[in-house]
Amino acid sequence: MASTIIDNSIIPFDPARMRRTVLEMAYAGSTVHIACAFSIIELLTVLYRHHLRYPGNDPRAEGRDYLVLSKGHGVMAQYACMHELGWLENSHIKNYFKDGTDLKGLSDSRVAGLEVTSGSLGHGFSVGVGIALGLKQKGTDQKVYAIVGDGELNEGPIWEGALVASHHKLENLMLIVDKNGFQAMGTTDDVLALGDLTAKLTSFGFETLEVDGHDEFVIDAAIRRLWESSPSKPKALIARTVKGKGVSFMESVNLWHYTRLNPQSFAEAISELGFSGTSK
Amino acid sequence: MREAFSNALVRLALADSKVLLLTGDHGYSLFDEFRKRCPDQYINAGIAEQNMVGMAAGLARVGFRPFVYGLAAFVPIRTVEQIKLDIAHDDLPVVLLGDGAGFVYSHLGTSHQSTEDIACTRAIPHLQVLSPADRLEMTAVMDYAYATIGPVYLRMGKADLGDVHDGPISSLQQGRLLKVRDGRADRPGLIATGSMLRAAVDIATSLDLMVWSAPFLKPLNVDDVRSTAKATNGLVTLEEHSVLGGLGAAVSEITSEHQPTRVLRIGVPDRFSEHCGTHAYLLREHGLDIDSVRERVRAYCELLASNSIALA
Repeated sequence: MASTIIDNSIIPFDPARMRRTVLEMAYAGSTVHIACAFSIIELLTVLYRHHLRYPGNDPRAEGRDYLVLSKGHGVMAQYACMHELGWLENSHIKNYFKDGTDLKGLSDSRVAGLEVTSGSLGHGFSVGVGIALGLKQKGTDQKVYAIVGDGELNEGPIWEGALVASHHKLENLMLIVDKNGFQAMGTTDDVLALGDLTAKLTSFGFETLEVDGHDEFVIDAAIRRLWESSPSKPKALIARTVKGKGVSFMESVNLWHYTRLNPQSFAEAISELGFSGTSK
Repeated sequence: MREAFSNALVRLALADSKVLLLTGDHGYSLFDEFRKRCPDQYINAGIAEQNMVGMAAGLARVGFRPFVYGLAAFVPIRTVEQIKLDIAHDDLPVVLLGDGAGFVYSHLGTSHQSTEDIACTRAIPHLQVLSPADRLEMTAVMDYAYATIGPVYLRMGKADLGDVHDGPISSLQQGRLLKVRDGRADRPGLIATGSMLRAAVDIATSLDLMVWSAPFLKPLNVDDVRSTAKATNGLVTLEEHSVLGGLGAAVSEITSEHQPTRVLRIGVPDRFSEHCGTHAYLLREHGLDIDSVRERVRAYCELLASNSIALA
Protein backbone atom coordinates (compact mmCIF):
# COMPACT_ATOMS: atom_id res chain seq x y z
CA MET A 1 0.00 0.00 0.00
CA ALA A 2 1.54 3.30 -1.07
CA SER A 3 0.54 5.01 2.13
CA THR A 4 2.94 2.87 4.15
CA ILE A 5 6.04 4.04 2.27
CA ILE A 6 7.97 6.60 4.25
CA ASP A 7 11.30 8.38 4.43
CA ASN A 8 12.44 6.66 7.57
CA SER A 9 13.52 3.62 5.54
CA ILE A 10 16.85 5.42 5.13
CA ILE A 11 17.34 5.44 8.90
CA PRO A 12 18.87 2.10 9.86
CA PHE A 13 17.14 1.39 13.19
CA ASP A 14 19.68 -1.37 13.70
CA PRO A 15 18.26 -3.72 16.34
CA ALA A 16 21.62 -4.32 18.00
CA ARG A 17 22.18 -0.61 18.34
CA MET A 18 18.67 -0.12 19.72
CA ARG A 19 19.44 -2.77 22.34
CA ARG A 20 22.70 -1.05 23.17
CA THR A 21 20.79 2.21 23.76
CA VAL A 22 18.37 0.37 26.05
CA LEU A 23 21.30 -1.07 28.01
CA GLU A 24 22.91 2.35 28.26
CA MET A 25 19.71 3.87 29.61
CA ALA A 26 19.08 1.03 32.01
CA TYR A 27 22.64 1.19 33.26
CA ALA A 28 22.65 4.98 33.57
CA GLY A 29 19.34 4.93 35.44
CA SER A 30 20.02 1.73 37.34
CA THR A 31 16.59 0.58 36.29
CA VAL A 32 14.62 -2.53 35.39
CA HIS A 33 12.35 -3.82 32.60
CA ILE A 34 15.26 -4.44 30.22
CA ALA A 35 13.82 -7.77 29.09
CA CYS A 36 10.39 -6.20 28.46
CA ALA A 37 12.04 -3.71 26.09
CA PHE A 38 14.19 -6.31 24.32
CA SER A 39 11.24 -8.42 23.21
CA ILE A 40 9.70 -5.59 21.13
CA ILE A 41 12.86 -4.20 19.51
CA GLU A 42 12.30 -5.70 16.04
CA LEU A 43 8.59 -4.85 16.12
CA LEU A 44 9.50 -1.22 16.73
CA THR A 45 12.38 -1.04 14.24
CA VAL A 46 10.13 -2.36 11.47
CA LEU A 47 7.29 -0.02 12.41
CA TYR A 48 9.48 3.07 12.59
CA ARG A 49 11.55 2.18 9.54
CA HIS A 50 8.76 1.16 7.17
CA HIS A 51 5.31 2.02 8.45
CA LEU A 52 4.84 4.90 10.88
CA ARG A 53 4.38 8.22 9.13
CA TYR A 54 5.30 11.43 10.93
CA PRO A 55 4.89 14.38 8.55
CA GLY A 56 7.89 16.67 8.92
CA ASN A 57 9.45 14.18 11.35
CA ASP A 58 7.21 15.82 13.94
CA PRO A 59 6.12 13.38 16.66
CA ARG A 60 3.00 15.48 17.21
CA ALA A 61 2.10 16.14 13.56
CA GLU A 62 -1.65 16.14 13.18
CA GLY A 63 -1.59 13.71 10.26
CA ARG A 64 0.68 11.15 11.92
CA ASP A 65 0.10 7.49 12.46
CA TYR A 66 -0.28 6.53 16.09
CA LEU A 67 1.94 4.06 17.90
CA VAL A 68 0.31 3.31 21.23
CA LEU A 69 2.61 1.44 23.59
CA SER A 70 -0.01 -0.10 25.82
CA LYS A 71 2.63 -2.26 27.52
CA GLY A 72 4.39 0.76 28.94
CA HIS A 73 7.08 -1.42 30.48
CA GLY A 74 8.81 -1.65 27.09
CA VAL A 75 9.24 2.10 26.83
CA MET A 76 13.06 2.03 26.72
CA ALA A 77 12.83 0.30 23.33
CA GLN A 78 10.70 3.19 22.12
CA TYR A 79 13.11 5.73 23.58
CA ALA A 80 15.90 4.04 21.60
CA CYS A 81 13.94 4.48 18.35
CA MET A 82 13.00 8.05 19.24
CA HIS A 83 16.70 8.72 19.81
CA GLU A 84 17.40 7.30 16.36
CA LEU A 85 14.84 9.73 14.92
CA GLY A 86 16.50 12.65 16.63
CA TRP A 87 13.54 13.23 18.95
CA LEU A 88 15.71 12.47 21.96
CA GLU A 89 19.22 13.76 22.61
CA ASN A 90 22.25 11.84 23.85
CA SER A 91 21.74 13.63 27.14
CA HIS A 92 18.34 11.94 27.51
CA ILE A 93 20.09 8.58 27.36
CA LYS A 94 22.95 9.58 29.65
CA ASN A 95 20.73 11.25 32.25
CA TYR A 96 17.95 8.66 32.36
CA PHE A 97 16.24 8.66 35.78
CA LYS A 98 18.19 11.68 37.02
CA ASP A 99 16.14 13.96 39.28
CA GLY A 100 14.07 16.48 37.36
CA THR A 101 14.25 14.72 33.96
CA ASP A 102 11.28 13.90 31.73
CA LEU A 103 11.71 10.30 30.65
CA LYS A 104 10.10 7.90 33.08
CA GLY A 105 10.26 4.16 33.54
CA LEU A 106 6.86 3.74 31.89
CA SER A 107 5.25 5.48 28.92
CA ASP A 108 4.15 9.05 29.68
CA SER A 109 2.14 10.89 27.04
CA ARG A 110 3.63 14.25 27.96
CA VAL A 111 6.79 13.13 26.13
CA ALA A 112 6.42 13.95 22.43
CA GLY A 113 6.50 10.63 20.62
CA LEU A 114 4.69 8.68 23.32
CA GLU A 115 0.94 8.66 22.74
CA VAL A 116 -0.40 7.31 26.02
CA THR A 117 0.40 7.11 29.69
CA SER A 118 0.60 3.41 30.35
CA GLY A 119 2.15 0.87 32.61
CA SER A 120 -1.06 0.43 34.42
CA LEU A 121 -2.05 -2.23 31.93
CA GLY A 122 -5.13 -2.46 29.77
CA HIS A 123 -5.40 1.30 29.17
CA GLY A 124 -3.52 2.01 25.97
CA PHE A 125 -5.45 -0.33 23.75
CA SER A 126 -8.79 1.32 24.62
CA VAL A 127 -7.31 4.74 23.90
CA GLY A 128 -6.03 3.36 20.60
CA VAL A 129 -9.51 2.07 19.77
CA GLY A 130 -10.86 5.58 20.41
CA ILE A 131 -8.18 7.17 18.24
CA ALA A 132 -8.93 4.70 15.44
CA LEU A 133 -12.67 5.33 15.72
CA GLY A 134 -12.09 9.08 15.60
CA LEU A 135 -9.75 8.86 12.58
CA LYS A 136 -12.22 6.63 10.78
CA GLN A 137 -15.02 9.09 11.51
CA LYS A 138 -12.82 11.88 10.12
CA GLY A 139 -12.13 9.81 7.01
CA THR A 140 -8.33 10.04 7.13
CA ASP A 141 -5.98 7.24 6.05
CA GLN A 142 -3.97 7.39 9.29
CA LYS A 143 -3.23 4.13 11.04
CA VAL A 144 -3.14 3.13 14.68
CA TYR A 145 -0.83 0.46 16.07
CA ALA A 146 -1.30 -0.69 19.65
CA ILE A 147 1.37 -2.90 21.20
CA VAL A 148 0.16 -4.96 24.13
CA GLY A 149 1.98 -7.58 26.13
CA ASP A 150 0.62 -11.11 26.31
CA GLY A 151 0.51 -10.73 30.09
CA GLU A 152 -1.46 -7.54 29.57
CA LEU A 153 -4.16 -9.62 27.90
CA ASN A 154 -5.23 -10.60 31.43
CA GLU A 155 -6.85 -7.16 31.63
CA GLY A 156 -10.58 -7.01 30.89
CA PRO A 157 -10.69 -3.68 29.02
CA ILE A 158 -8.52 -5.21 26.27
CA TRP A 159 -11.34 -7.57 25.43
CA GLU A 160 -13.95 -4.83 25.75
CA GLY A 161 -11.88 -2.85 23.26
CA ALA A 162 -11.57 -5.86 20.96
CA LEU A 163 -15.36 -6.16 20.79
CA VAL A 164 -15.71 -2.48 20.02
CA ALA A 165 -12.94 -2.51 17.38
CA SER A 166 -14.66 -5.31 15.57
CA HIS A 167 -18.18 -3.92 15.97
CA HIS A 168 -17.12 -0.58 14.51
CA LYS A 169 -15.07 -2.25 11.75
CA LEU A 170 -11.88 -0.40 12.65
CA GLU A 171 -9.78 -1.53 9.70
CA ASN A 172 -7.29 1.26 10.52
CA LEU A 173 -6.33 -0.39 13.82
CA MET A 174 -3.64 -3.02 14.34
CA LEU A 175 -3.29 -4.78 17.66
CA ILE A 176 0.24 -6.14 18.07
CA VAL A 177 0.71 -8.73 20.78
CA ASP A 178 4.21 -9.11 22.17
CA LYS A 179 3.84 -12.78 22.93
CA ASN A 180 6.98 -13.38 24.95
CA GLY A 181 5.29 -15.94 27.16
CA PHE A 182 6.11 -14.23 30.42
CA GLN A 183 4.48 -11.84 32.83
CA ALA A 184 5.76 -10.41 36.07
CA MET A 185 5.52 -13.52 38.24
CA GLY A 186 6.03 -16.32 35.76
CA THR A 187 5.00 -17.74 32.40
CA THR A 188 1.66 -16.70 30.99
CA ASP A 189 0.74 -20.39 30.88
CA ASP A 190 1.36 -20.76 34.61
CA VAL A 191 -0.21 -17.48 35.72
CA LEU A 192 -3.31 -17.24 33.54
CA ALA A 193 -3.24 -19.29 30.38
CA LEU A 194 -4.31 -17.51 27.20
CA GLY A 195 -5.13 -20.60 25.20
CA ASP A 196 -5.21 -20.30 21.43
CA LEU A 197 -4.71 -16.59 20.97
CA THR A 198 -5.03 -16.65 17.20
CA ALA A 199 -8.38 -18.42 17.51
CA LYS A 200 -9.50 -16.01 20.22
CA LEU A 201 -8.69 -12.86 18.27
CA THR A 202 -10.05 -14.32 15.04
CA SER A 203 -13.29 -15.14 16.80
CA PHE A 204 -13.39 -11.55 18.05
CA GLY A 205 -13.43 -10.47 14.40
CA PHE A 206 -9.76 -9.61 13.86
CA GLU A 207 -7.79 -10.48 10.75
CA THR A 208 -4.97 -12.26 12.54
CA LEU A 209 -1.44 -13.38 11.67
CA GLU A 210 1.16 -14.96 13.93
CA VAL A 211 4.84 -14.45 13.14
CA ASP A 212 8.36 -14.67 14.53
CA GLY A 213 8.56 -11.34 16.32
CA HIS A 214 12.31 -11.02 15.85
CA ASP A 215 12.47 -11.58 12.08
CA GLU A 216 12.23 -8.09 10.63
CA PHE A 217 11.52 -9.28 7.10
CA VAL A 218 8.68 -11.49 8.26
CA ILE A 219 7.21 -8.80 10.53
CA ASP A 220 7.25 -6.26 7.71
CA ALA A 221 5.62 -8.66 5.28
CA ALA A 222 2.93 -9.60 7.81
CA ILE A 223 2.07 -5.98 8.55
CA ARG A 224 1.72 -5.26 4.82
CA ARG A 225 -0.36 -8.38 4.33
CA LEU A 226 -2.66 -7.43 7.20
CA TRP A 227 -3.26 -3.93 5.85
CA GLU A 228 -4.05 -5.40 2.46
CA SER A 229 -6.37 -8.02 3.93
CA SER A 230 -10.11 -7.86 4.32
CA PRO A 231 -11.34 -4.32 4.70
CA SER A 232 -13.73 -3.61 7.54
CA LYS A 233 -11.85 -5.80 10.02
CA PRO A 234 -9.37 -4.71 12.67
CA LYS A 235 -5.97 -6.41 12.39
CA ALA A 236 -3.99 -8.40 14.91
CA LEU A 237 -0.35 -9.34 14.66
CA ILE A 238 0.70 -11.93 17.19
CA ALA A 239 4.46 -11.72 17.49
CA ARG A 240 6.20 -14.70 19.06
CA THR A 241 9.06 -13.10 20.91
CA VAL A 242 11.71 -13.90 23.48
CA LYS A 243 11.72 -11.86 26.64
CA GLY A 244 15.25 -10.48 26.97
CA LYS A 245 16.05 -11.26 23.30
CA GLY A 246 19.56 -10.39 22.18
CA VAL A 247 21.58 -11.06 25.31
CA SER A 248 21.97 -14.76 26.07
CA PHE A 249 21.88 -14.55 29.84
CA MET A 250 18.69 -12.48 29.74
CA GLU A 251 16.75 -14.55 27.20
CA SER A 252 13.65 -16.11 28.76
CA VAL A 253 15.08 -15.46 32.21
CA ASN A 254 12.23 -13.63 33.88
CA LEU A 255 14.53 -12.21 36.56
CA TRP A 256 15.48 -9.62 33.94
CA HIS A 257 12.03 -8.13 34.34
CA TYR A 258 13.38 -6.86 37.66
CA THR A 259 17.18 -7.10 37.62
CA ARG A 260 19.45 -4.09 37.41
CA LEU A 261 22.73 -4.09 35.55
CA ASN A 262 26.06 -4.01 37.35
CA PRO A 263 29.35 -3.04 35.69
CA GLN A 264 30.11 -6.63 34.80
CA SER A 265 26.69 -7.65 33.42
CA PHE A 266 26.53 -4.35 31.54
CA ALA A 267 29.92 -4.95 29.89
CA GLU A 268 29.03 -8.54 29.05
CA ALA A 269 25.69 -7.56 27.53
CA ILE A 270 27.24 -4.80 25.42
CA SER A 271 29.90 -7.19 24.23
CA GLU A 272 27.31 -9.86 23.31
CA LEU A 273 25.58 -7.34 21.09
CA GLY A 274 28.85 -7.07 19.16
CA PHE A 275 30.05 -3.75 20.49
CA SER A 276 33.41 -3.15 22.07
CA GLY A 277 32.16 -0.28 24.24
CA THR A 278 29.35 2.15 24.75
CA SER A 279 28.34 4.68 22.12
CA LYS A 280 29.39 7.78 23.97
CA MET B 1 -34.01 18.72 34.76
CA ARG B 2 -33.31 15.65 32.62
CA GLU B 3 -35.06 17.36 29.75
CA ALA B 4 -32.82 20.39 30.26
CA PHE B 5 -29.86 18.02 30.11
CA SER B 6 -31.06 16.36 26.91
CA ASN B 7 -31.91 19.71 25.32
CA ALA B 8 -28.48 21.11 26.12
CA LEU B 9 -26.74 18.04 24.75
CA VAL B 10 -28.71 18.13 21.50
CA ARG B 11 -28.11 21.86 21.13
CA LEU B 12 -24.35 21.48 21.66
CA ALA B 13 -24.13 18.52 19.28
CA LEU B 14 -26.09 20.29 16.53
CA ALA B 15 -23.80 23.30 16.83
CA ASP B 16 -20.55 21.29 16.86
CA SER B 17 -20.21 18.05 14.91
CA LYS B 18 -17.20 17.13 17.06
CA VAL B 19 -19.49 16.63 20.05
CA LEU B 20 -20.08 12.91 20.56
CA LEU B 21 -22.27 11.15 23.05
CA LEU B 22 -20.91 7.85 24.36
CA THR B 23 -23.09 5.75 26.59
CA GLY B 24 -22.44 2.51 28.38
CA ASP B 25 -25.79 1.12 27.26
CA HIS B 26 -27.71 3.44 29.58
CA GLY B 27 -30.18 6.26 29.03
CA TYR B 28 -32.91 4.42 27.19
CA SER B 29 -35.52 7.15 26.70
CA LEU B 30 -33.24 10.00 27.77
CA PHE B 31 -31.42 10.01 24.43
CA ASP B 32 -34.36 9.56 22.06
CA GLU B 33 -34.10 13.13 20.87
CA PHE B 34 -30.31 12.97 20.53
CA ARG B 35 -30.44 9.73 18.56
CA LYS B 36 -33.08 11.15 16.27
CA ARG B 37 -31.35 14.44 15.57
CA CYS B 38 -27.65 13.51 15.84
CA PRO B 39 -27.47 9.81 14.95
CA ASP B 40 -23.89 10.03 13.68
CA GLN B 41 -22.72 11.53 16.95
CA TYR B 42 -24.18 8.79 19.13
CA ILE B 43 -22.07 5.79 20.18
CA ASN B 44 -23.40 3.05 22.40
CA ALA B 45 -20.10 1.61 23.64
CA GLY B 46 -21.79 -1.37 25.22
CA ILE B 47 -21.68 -2.48 28.83
CA ALA B 48 -17.96 -1.84 28.92
CA GLU B 49 -17.38 1.35 30.85
CA GLN B 50 -13.62 1.10 31.28
CA ASN B 51 -13.03 0.74 27.57
CA MET B 52 -15.60 3.47 26.90
CA VAL B 53 -13.72 6.02 29.02
CA GLY B 54 -10.39 5.02 27.46
CA MET B 55 -11.96 5.35 24.02
CA ALA B 56 -13.26 8.79 24.89
CA ALA B 57 -9.67 9.79 25.63
CA GLY B 58 -8.62 8.52 22.20
CA LEU B 59 -11.47 10.39 20.50
CA ALA B 60 -10.53 13.59 22.34
CA ARG B 61 -6.91 13.13 21.25
CA VAL B 62 -7.94 13.39 17.61
CA GLY B 63 -10.15 16.43 18.06
CA PHE B 64 -13.56 15.20 19.21
CA ARG B 65 -15.51 16.46 22.22
CA PRO B 66 -16.84 13.33 23.92
CA PHE B 67 -19.62 13.45 26.50
CA VAL B 68 -19.52 10.10 28.30
CA TYR B 69 -22.71 9.02 30.00
CA GLY B 70 -23.19 6.39 32.65
CA LEU B 71 -24.68 5.93 36.05
CA ALA B 72 -22.51 7.62 38.65
CA ALA B 73 -21.88 4.21 40.15
CA PHE B 74 -20.01 3.33 36.93
CA VAL B 75 -18.94 6.69 35.47
CA PRO B 76 -16.93 7.82 37.39
CA ILE B 77 -16.69 5.16 40.10
CA ARG B 78 -15.96 2.05 38.05
CA THR B 79 -13.65 4.02 35.78
CA VAL B 80 -11.71 6.22 38.18
CA GLU B 81 -8.35 4.97 36.93
CA GLN B 82 -9.21 5.58 33.27
CA ILE B 83 -10.37 9.07 34.19
CA LYS B 84 -7.15 9.75 36.07
CA LEU B 85 -4.70 8.28 33.60
CA ASP B 86 -6.30 8.45 30.16
CA ILE B 87 -8.20 11.74 30.48
CA ALA B 88 -7.22 14.01 33.36
CA HIS B 89 -3.47 13.42 33.09
CA ASP B 90 -3.50 15.11 29.69
CA ASP B 91 -6.23 17.62 30.40
CA LEU B 92 -8.36 16.19 27.60
CA PRO B 93 -11.75 17.79 26.89
CA VAL B 94 -14.00 14.95 27.98
CA VAL B 95 -17.21 15.53 29.92
CA LEU B 96 -18.15 12.65 32.19
CA LEU B 97 -21.85 12.50 32.99
CA GLY B 98 -22.69 10.50 36.09
CA ASP B 99 -26.44 10.07 36.37
CA GLY B 100 -28.48 8.85 39.33
CA ALA B 101 -25.93 10.03 41.88
CA GLY B 102 -26.83 9.63 45.54
CA PHE B 103 -29.82 7.41 46.27
CA VAL B 104 -31.77 7.85 43.02
CA TYR B 105 -31.70 4.09 42.45
CA SER B 106 -32.98 3.54 45.94
CA HIS B 107 -34.66 0.20 45.36
CA LEU B 108 -31.70 -1.34 43.53
CA GLY B 109 -29.27 -1.27 46.41
CA THR B 110 -25.60 -0.47 46.82
CA SER B 111 -24.57 -1.48 43.29
CA HIS B 112 -26.43 1.45 41.73
CA GLN B 113 -26.13 4.02 44.52
CA SER B 114 -23.28 6.50 44.51
CA THR B 115 -22.28 8.47 47.59
CA GLU B 116 -18.49 8.45 47.13
CA ASP B 117 -18.11 9.87 43.62
CA ILE B 118 -17.34 13.46 44.63
CA ALA B 119 -14.65 12.34 47.06
CA CYS B 120 -13.07 10.11 44.41
CA THR B 121 -13.07 12.71 41.66
CA ARG B 122 -12.10 15.79 43.66
CA ALA B 123 -8.59 14.47 44.24
CA ILE B 124 -7.87 13.96 40.53
CA PRO B 125 -5.78 16.85 39.17
CA HIS B 126 -7.20 18.91 36.27
CA LEU B 127 -10.68 17.43 36.74
CA GLN B 128 -13.47 19.89 37.53
CA VAL B 129 -16.47 18.59 39.44
CA LEU B 130 -19.92 20.09 38.82
CA SER B 131 -23.20 19.34 40.54
CA PRO B 132 -26.28 21.18 39.26
CA ALA B 133 -29.30 21.59 41.53
CA ASP B 134 -32.11 22.33 39.12
CA ARG B 135 -33.04 22.76 35.46
CA LEU B 136 -31.48 26.19 35.26
CA GLU B 137 -28.19 25.16 36.80
CA MET B 138 -28.16 22.11 34.52
CA THR B 139 -28.35 24.25 31.40
CA ALA B 140 -25.65 26.55 32.74
CA VAL B 141 -23.24 23.77 33.73
CA MET B 142 -23.67 21.97 30.40
CA ASP B 143 -22.71 25.17 28.58
CA TYR B 144 -19.82 25.65 30.99
CA ALA B 145 -18.62 22.06 30.56
CA TYR B 146 -18.57 22.43 26.79
CA ALA B 147 -16.86 25.82 26.87
CA THR B 148 -14.18 24.89 29.37
CA ILE B 149 -12.26 22.51 27.04
CA GLY B 150 -10.89 20.27 29.75
CA PRO B 151 -11.94 17.28 31.80
CA VAL B 152 -15.20 17.68 33.70
CA TYR B 153 -17.24 15.38 35.90
CA LEU B 154 -20.88 16.44 35.89
CA ARG B 155 -22.82 14.85 38.73
CA MET B 156 -26.53 14.35 38.09
CA GLY B 157 -28.62 13.45 41.12
CA LYS B 158 -32.31 13.42 41.97
CA ALA B 159 -33.77 15.46 39.17
CA ASP B 160 -37.47 16.01 39.80
CA LEU B 161 -37.43 18.39 42.76
CA GLY B 162 -38.41 21.51 40.84
CA ASP B 163 -36.58 24.76 40.16
CA VAL B 164 -34.89 26.76 42.88
CA HIS B 165 -33.59 29.63 40.77
CA ASP B 166 -36.05 32.18 39.40
CA GLY B 167 -34.65 32.44 35.91
CA PRO B 168 -31.78 31.46 33.63
CA ILE B 169 -28.28 31.68 35.13
CA SER B 170 -26.60 33.96 32.66
CA SER B 171 -22.99 33.89 33.73
CA LEU B 172 -21.83 30.84 35.56
CA GLN B 173 -18.28 31.55 36.65
CA GLN B 174 -15.76 28.90 37.54
CA GLY B 175 -15.88 27.90 41.18
CA ARG B 176 -18.38 30.55 42.22
CA LEU B 177 -21.21 30.01 44.68
CA LEU B 178 -24.68 31.22 43.73
CA LYS B 179 -26.52 33.12 46.44
CA VAL B 180 -30.07 31.83 46.56
CA ARG B 181 -31.53 33.43 49.66
CA ASP B 182 -30.68 36.16 52.14
CA GLY B 183 -31.22 35.68 55.85
CA ARG B 184 -29.99 36.46 59.36
CA ALA B 185 -26.30 37.11 59.83
CA ASP B 186 -26.32 35.92 63.44
CA ARG B 187 -27.35 32.44 62.40
CA PRO B 188 -25.51 29.79 60.35
CA GLY B 189 -25.61 30.00 56.57
CA LEU B 190 -26.42 27.01 54.40
CA ILE B 191 -24.32 25.86 51.43
CA ALA B 192 -25.99 23.08 49.49
CA THR B 193 -25.27 21.22 46.29
CA GLY B 194 -27.41 19.27 43.86
CA SER B 195 -30.53 17.61 45.19
CA MET B 196 -30.12 19.06 48.70
CA LEU B 197 -30.55 22.67 47.60
CA ARG B 198 -34.34 22.32 47.55
CA ALA B 199 -34.41 21.18 51.20
CA ALA B 200 -31.90 23.86 52.18
CA VAL B 201 -34.12 26.61 50.79
CA ASP B 202 -37.23 25.21 52.50
CA ILE B 203 -35.48 24.95 55.87
CA ALA B 204 -33.88 28.38 55.49
CA THR B 205 -37.26 29.95 54.80
CA SER B 206 -38.64 28.78 58.14
CA LEU B 207 -35.48 29.70 60.10
CA ASP B 208 -34.57 32.81 58.07
CA LEU B 209 -31.09 31.64 57.02
CA MET B 210 -28.85 32.60 54.13
CA VAL B 211 -28.47 29.97 51.38
CA TRP B 212 -25.89 29.47 48.67
CA SER B 213 -25.87 26.85 45.95
CA ALA B 214 -22.58 25.18 45.05
CA PRO B 215 -22.77 24.07 41.40
CA PHE B 216 -18.97 23.66 41.55
CA LEU B 217 -17.44 21.19 43.95
CA LYS B 218 -14.06 21.70 42.34
CA PRO B 219 -12.73 24.22 42.00
CA LEU B 220 -14.48 26.05 44.78
CA ASN B 221 -13.81 29.76 44.95
CA VAL B 222 -11.86 30.55 48.11
CA ASP B 223 -13.07 34.16 48.37
CA ASP B 224 -16.70 33.11 48.01
CA VAL B 225 -16.44 30.56 50.80
CA ARG B 226 -14.54 33.02 52.97
CA SER B 227 -17.30 35.58 52.36
CA THR B 228 -20.03 33.15 53.39
CA ALA B 229 -18.13 32.43 56.60
CA LYS B 230 -17.73 36.14 57.28
CA ALA B 231 -21.37 36.92 56.53
CA THR B 232 -22.83 34.29 58.88
CA ASN B 233 -22.44 32.75 62.30
CA GLY B 234 -21.21 29.29 61.29
CA LEU B 235 -21.94 27.22 58.19
CA VAL B 236 -23.95 24.11 57.34
CA THR B 237 -23.18 22.10 54.22
CA LEU B 238 -25.80 19.82 52.66
CA GLU B 239 -25.19 17.11 50.09
CA GLU B 240 -26.56 13.73 49.02
CA HIS B 241 -23.05 12.28 49.28
CA SER B 242 -20.79 10.96 51.99
CA VAL B 243 -19.85 13.45 54.68
CA LEU B 244 -16.28 12.47 53.80
CA GLY B 245 -14.60 14.14 50.86
CA GLY B 246 -17.54 16.00 49.35
CA LEU B 247 -18.92 19.53 49.65
CA GLY B 248 -18.55 19.59 53.44
CA ALA B 249 -14.92 18.65 53.13
CA ALA B 250 -14.28 21.18 50.37
CA VAL B 251 -15.83 24.00 52.40
CA SER B 252 -14.02 22.94 55.58
CA GLU B 253 -10.68 22.80 53.77
CA ILE B 254 -11.12 26.45 52.82
CA THR B 255 -12.57 27.78 56.05
CA SER B 256 -10.00 26.03 58.24
CA GLU B 257 -7.22 27.76 56.37
CA HIS B 258 -8.75 31.10 55.37
CA GLN B 259 -11.69 31.94 57.64
CA PRO B 260 -12.03 29.59 60.60
CA THR B 261 -15.63 29.00 61.53
CA ARG B 262 -17.73 26.09 62.69
CA VAL B 263 -18.99 23.89 59.87
CA LEU B 264 -21.74 21.32 60.30
CA ARG B 265 -21.45 18.76 57.52
CA ILE B 266 -24.80 17.20 56.68
CA GLY B 267 -24.54 14.30 54.28
CA VAL B 268 -24.55 10.55 54.13
CA PRO B 269 -22.93 8.95 57.18
CA ASP B 270 -19.92 6.72 56.47
CA ARG B 271 -21.93 3.59 55.75
CA PHE B 272 -23.90 1.81 53.02
CA SER B 273 -27.70 1.83 52.83
CA GLU B 274 -29.21 -1.04 54.75
CA HIS B 275 -32.72 -1.31 53.40
CA CYS B 276 -34.78 -1.21 50.24
CA GLY B 277 -37.25 1.61 49.75
CA THR B 278 -38.11 4.84 47.99
CA HIS B 279 -35.67 7.72 47.62
CA ALA B 280 -37.52 9.48 50.44
CA TYR B 281 -37.21 6.37 52.59
CA LEU B 282 -33.46 6.15 52.10
CA LEU B 283 -33.02 9.84 52.86
CA ARG B 284 -34.76 9.14 56.19
CA GLU B 285 -32.56 6.11 56.79
CA HIS B 286 -29.52 8.35 56.48
CA GLY B 287 -31.00 11.32 58.33
CA LEU B 288 -31.21 13.43 55.18
CA ASP B 289 -35.00 13.87 55.00
CA ILE B 290 -36.17 17.43 55.45
CA ASP B 291 -37.55 16.93 58.99
CA SER B 292 -34.33 15.40 60.28
CA VAL B 293 -32.20 18.02 58.58
CA ARG B 294 -34.40 20.88 59.85
CA GLU B 295 -34.08 19.56 63.37
CA ARG B 296 -30.29 19.32 63.13
CA VAL B 297 -30.02 22.81 61.66
CA ARG B 298 -32.37 24.24 64.34
CA ALA B 299 -30.34 22.60 67.11
CA TYR B 300 -27.17 23.93 65.51
CA CYS B 301 -28.62 27.45 65.47
CA GLU B 302 -29.30 27.14 69.20
CA LEU B 303 -25.86 25.74 69.90
CA LEU B 304 -24.13 28.57 68.05
CA ALA B 305 -26.37 31.16 69.70
CA SER B 306 -25.56 29.84 73.18
CA ASN B 307 -21.85 29.67 72.29
CA SER B 308 -21.98 33.31 71.24
CA ILE B 309 -23.59 34.26 74.55
CA ALA B 310 -21.04 32.22 76.46
CA LEU B 311 -18.19 33.91 74.56
CA ALA B 312 -19.69 37.35 75.11
